[in-house]
Amino acid sequence: MNHPLPETGPDRQFQSHVADGHLWIQHCSDCGGAIFHPRVLCPHCGSLALEWRRASGRGTVYSRADLIQKPKPGETEPRHHALVLVDLDEGPRMMSRLPDVAPEEIRIGMRVQARIAGDPGEYAVVFDPEEAAE
Amino acid sequence: MSGLRGGAAIVGVGTAGLGEAPGFTAMDIQALAVRQALDEAGLALSDVDGLFCANMSHTFPAISTLEYLGLRPRWIDGTNTGGSSFVGYATSAAMALQAGLCDVALICYGATMRSGAGRMVPAAEQPTYEIPHKPRYPMTAYAMAAARHMAEFGTTREQLAEVAVAARGWAQKNPDAFERDPLSIEDVLASRMVMEPLTLRDCCLLTDGAGAVVMTRPDRARDLAQTPVYFLGGGVASYNRAVSEMPDLTTTAAKDSGARAFAMAGLRPSDMDVLQLYDAFTINVILFLEDLGFCAKGDGGSFVSGGRIAPGGALPVNTNGGGLSFTHPGMYGVFTLIEAARQLRGAAGARQVPGAATALCHGNGITLSHQATAIFGRAETL
Repeated sequence: MNHPLPETGPDRQFQSHVADGHLWIQHCSDCGGAIFHPRVLCPHCGSLALEWRRASGRGTVYSRADLIQKPKPGETEPRHHALVLVDLDEGPRMMSRLPDVAPEEIRIGMRVQARIAGDPGEYAVVFDPEEAAE
Repeated sequence: MSGLRGGAAIVGVGTAGLGEAPGFTAMDIQALAVRQALDEAGLALSDVDGLFCANMSHTFPAISTLEYLGLRPRWIDGTNTGGSSFVGYATSAAMALQAGLCDVALICYGATMRSGAGRMVPAAEQPTYEIPHKPRYPMTAYAMAAARHMAEFGTTREQLAEVAVAARGWAQKNPDAFERDPLSIEDVLASRMVMEPLTLRDCCLLTDGAGAVVMTRPDRARDLAQTPVYFLGGGVASYNRAVSEMPDLTTTAAKDSGARAFAMAGLRPSDMDVLQLYDAFTINVILFLEDLGFCAKGDGGSFVSGGRIAPGGALPVNTNGGGLSFTHPGMYGVFTLIEAARQLRGAAGARQVPGAATALCHGNGITLSHQATAIFGRAETL
């Protein structure tokens, strides 16, 4: 028999959960592992029994990189685009940005707090320095 | 010990369109590399009955290749693990040859990244939860690995630069190399910062180029034109696609692929005379020297210092000039096999490592996502 599908796919489930402005991630009901990116099965144990839980949103910058592009015509300064990998306190790692922090101020090991950015259906997780967050 | 050890040999290698090949397609220059590899072996296209092929430009690379070359192979392996594919094929070709699935295995690649599309062609599918943040693949991933290695182990930009300078030193001895002008540590440090902490000179070239390798069983290899270069061991390993899924950015799956290759070969790092390590970025060489067991984790930066991997140094690495200075047409793996074969034949000209009897090839795929290792040796190592 064709394997039954969950009601919606994991990406849509993620979008509907984070619509409340908080970061949600999956947890495995069998092994307890925390999971990101969203999936239909647990990458730690293979279980299909996954549940969504609101995450603390807190994490630590694991690494960083800063794309420096030559100035465009009419511009004098190079454009920076800094990216980070954040280790969530729950365990999983994600790529993200710190939109309100100057690239040279981003430090490996700095504590950060998640913020949901973007439009409905296309939300993405960005981070702010922990002390600046509410 | 595995039946694959000594079960196959490289009998022909070829390259074409290295650097710039305007007006030619990837399939054109690939065909020329294939002819060169077969010609020097004393074999014909009609002898090829096994095809091992991947690229980033064709939806069905192996099928387009066999059509262009007029092959009707009875065994095809198009496993695409990125630039490491071709090093992985060394093991799968040995396996297919030993199983009797084919008698003459052709491993090939061609791309016109420089004159064709003009840009690195990104893979169609990209990690869903990374894309909204606009990473620049593959550079972002390697810059993050470098930043983490620097933070964790104190690795410096000067140490990264040593890798680029060593590659250039070798390239200056290789008439086929794309970049042969003198390059100093200071030059690397002063070059444009493109993805902090990596400068332009920490990044590989983007060239056209094609490469081909022909393998067969040892009994036949001994009757062909070139000194056979024997396959002694191989292994692959992969844990993740996206860099954000990589368990530890300072330790790659080369730790496992290397251990598997050494176990099959019955050899250790100290037995290796020459190394060909996929250097898409300078940090790669440091990571792979550590993960393959040539130095302790975290010591790669100091290990490469003082010209240790440069011409005249204690450990010859990337003797063709590598992806940093020789050629890098999007996927570089096949060129590690070609240079290893030339070194073990004693046919590497001004860059020949005297008496080289063993060589290690290491391929890296995607964004540190897949690792493949293969070890080769001369007849006396069998």
